[in-house]
Amino acid sequence: MLFVRTEGILNTMIKVPILLAGLVIIAIGLPFQASASSTRTLDLTMYSDGSTHISSQIDVDPLSPDFELELFGPSVDNFVTVGEDGFLLSSEINGTKAFIETFGSSSITVDYDIHDLISKEGRVWTFSFNATSDYSVVMPSNSIIVGMSTIPKNMELIEEQTKLELSSGPAEINYILEAPSNPIDTPPIDPNRPGEDYTIPIILGGLIAAGAVGASIIFKRTKTKSSISIQEETTKNVIKKEFADPQEIFDFVPDMREDDKKIVQFISESGGQVFESELRKKFVQPRTTMWRAVKRLERLGVIEITKKDLQNLVILKKDLEEEE
Amino acid sequence: MKPITIFSIIILSTALILGATTNTAFAQDDPSILSKIAKRAQEKIQNQITNFTSDETKTLFEDGKKGILALETALSNEDLALAKQEFLSTMKIFAQVSHQLASNQSSQIEPSTNPTTLDPSNDLLRMKSYVTSLKAVAENHNSTVEFSPLDKLFTIANAQIKSHQYAKATNTIQEIKNTIVQLNEELRTQTSQQESNRAQIFANKYLQQIDRILDHGKKTGMSEEIVLKLENAKESLLLALSPADIIKEVRNILLIQNQFGISETNLLDLRISNSEQKILEISNSGQFTQNTIQGMNKNIETIKNHMDKQEFEQASELLKALETILEKIKV
Repeated sequence: MLFVRTEGILNTMIKVPILLAGLVIIAIGLPFQASASSTRTLDLTMYSDGSTHISSQIDVDPLSPDFELELFGPSVDNFVTVGEDGFLLSSEINGTKAFIETFGSSSITVDYDIHDLISKEGRVWTFSFNATSDYSVVMPSNSIIVGMSTIPKNMELIEEQTKLELSSGPAEINYILEAPSNPIDTPPIDPNRPGEDYTIPIILGGLIAAGAVGASIIFKRTKTKSSISIQEETTKNVIKKEFADPQEIFDFVPDMREDDKKIVQFISESGGQVFESELRKKFVQPRTTMWRAVKRLERLGVIEITKKDLQNLVILKKDLEEEE
Repeated sequence: MKPITIFSIIILSTALILGATTNTAFAQDDPSILSKIAKRAQEKIQNQITNFTSDETKTLFEDGKKGILALETALSNEDLALAKQEFLSTMKIFAQVSHQLASNQSSQIEPSTNPTTLDPSNDLLRMKSYVTSLKAVAENHNSTVEFSPLDKLFTIANAQIKSHQYAKATNTIQEIKNTIVQLNEELRTQTSQQESNRAQIFANKYLQQIDRILDHGKKTGMSEEIVLKLENAKESLLLALSPADIIKEVRNILLIQNQFGISETNLLDLRISNSEQKILEISNSGQFTQNTIQGMNKNIETIKNHMDKQEFEQASELLKALETILEKIKV
């Protein structure tokens, strides 16, 4: 019989620092992998006459003077594209391609109507789509889905309209319009209206659970140590953080840019700390632009950046004088 | 193993597992949506089945109903993989049933591009959405384009549709479309100057970049052929005025850079490495104090930081100043 000593086997067989470093690298890499796609958002709204409105936000190369966009079909109407600053960008449509003069924009928003995605056989309408990114689709009012070739990630009913969250890849949805509806009375809902997103609670819940497990292990191993030190740690954690008043910050840095002031104001209104991702969402700024703004504020000594849940947490500083 | 190590591994592993499963979290959070969709489909199809429906279709529909039962069983057993499978097969059956029922009404597939001649509501909604986008653009450009005539036409068309005067509404919508064409032209004329300015700013950035690349090139021994090509490209870009011409010339510059593998980062790296070599030589000579050497190395560090942030202009300026100092030092 072969006896194996299990105690300390992890230490013996693998190098813990290497394991930790590997996990850290993979953990840091995950958000970047998720954001590698150039399409940031893709929202579709179906009309009851078989046309579809497409609204998409796309990351483009700011060093390139133009961008070639592949449209979802050739029958396109009402095409509008704007840069990250909301300025109109010139474009030319040729077949299923749109050539957009981006001139340094790192993100563009494209809106158009298309008539190629839906066909009708008898009473059954069929929506066929093949997206390269995840997307949302708002079904027409009073439509009932009678066939589906894909698993929806989420579904919600908003003002008699079904909004589906779907994954990239080919999808076919068959539906029937229940009764002749008057869409004037029930305009299509805003596809950007937030649905129930459980991602953050899941991650936070998981981390808390993992934290609790880890803490219990540590507790068991260190229970012989002085309880005084534990009390001190706990006390440190519950100290409520204070932060400087925005006006105080503006007085402290009188030549602060107007857009930076708005960021400071927003952080202050959010309780003194926000994730950088929240700032990007609030100010509709691309990752690099917001990162530069945040670093600028850090250099001015009004905020500090820390990592929390693999994200950048931006915190307003308490004492501005200390930085000077 | 130390407790803190165990703790770190648990945290990281959990974060990784959760991070990887985030994309599928929605369907797994509320799998009952699958059952809701399938049941609504069943209900809808049930209402369409009559005594005249073929036995084949009725049998197929019964298979679909069994599929829903299997789906619900899978959901109650919390077997999500099976539930997804059952959902897809059930919805496939219902799609077939719907098509069979539909083929009794019409055997012809119609493209959806023909707008209805009866109710032009959707056309009006699309126009409204388009005008909303144009209004936002006009506001961002501080444009003086007047949208109030369009708003009035929208009100008229709305009222006509509500009172079922579809022919009149169609005429009003046509008037809206004509007005939009005019407004669009006016808006594009007003924004063209700003677009031209943006194009010029973009061109200037490229001109500055070429200057820096040429500067790096001179210090790193770039071939005369490349220098000449870049200088010609710079000249052409300087003369380009319209956005279309600027795009053409910038593309030409990008082509040259790709052809010869020129990038500002590479050239700067080469110069930094030359400077580092020189600092090392100075340090080894023992002619200068440790503080002086440290100061130089700190400068190199700052230059690299600028490069990391893609602040090439600042990096170039600092490097230029450092190189001037290094040139004056004779070891």
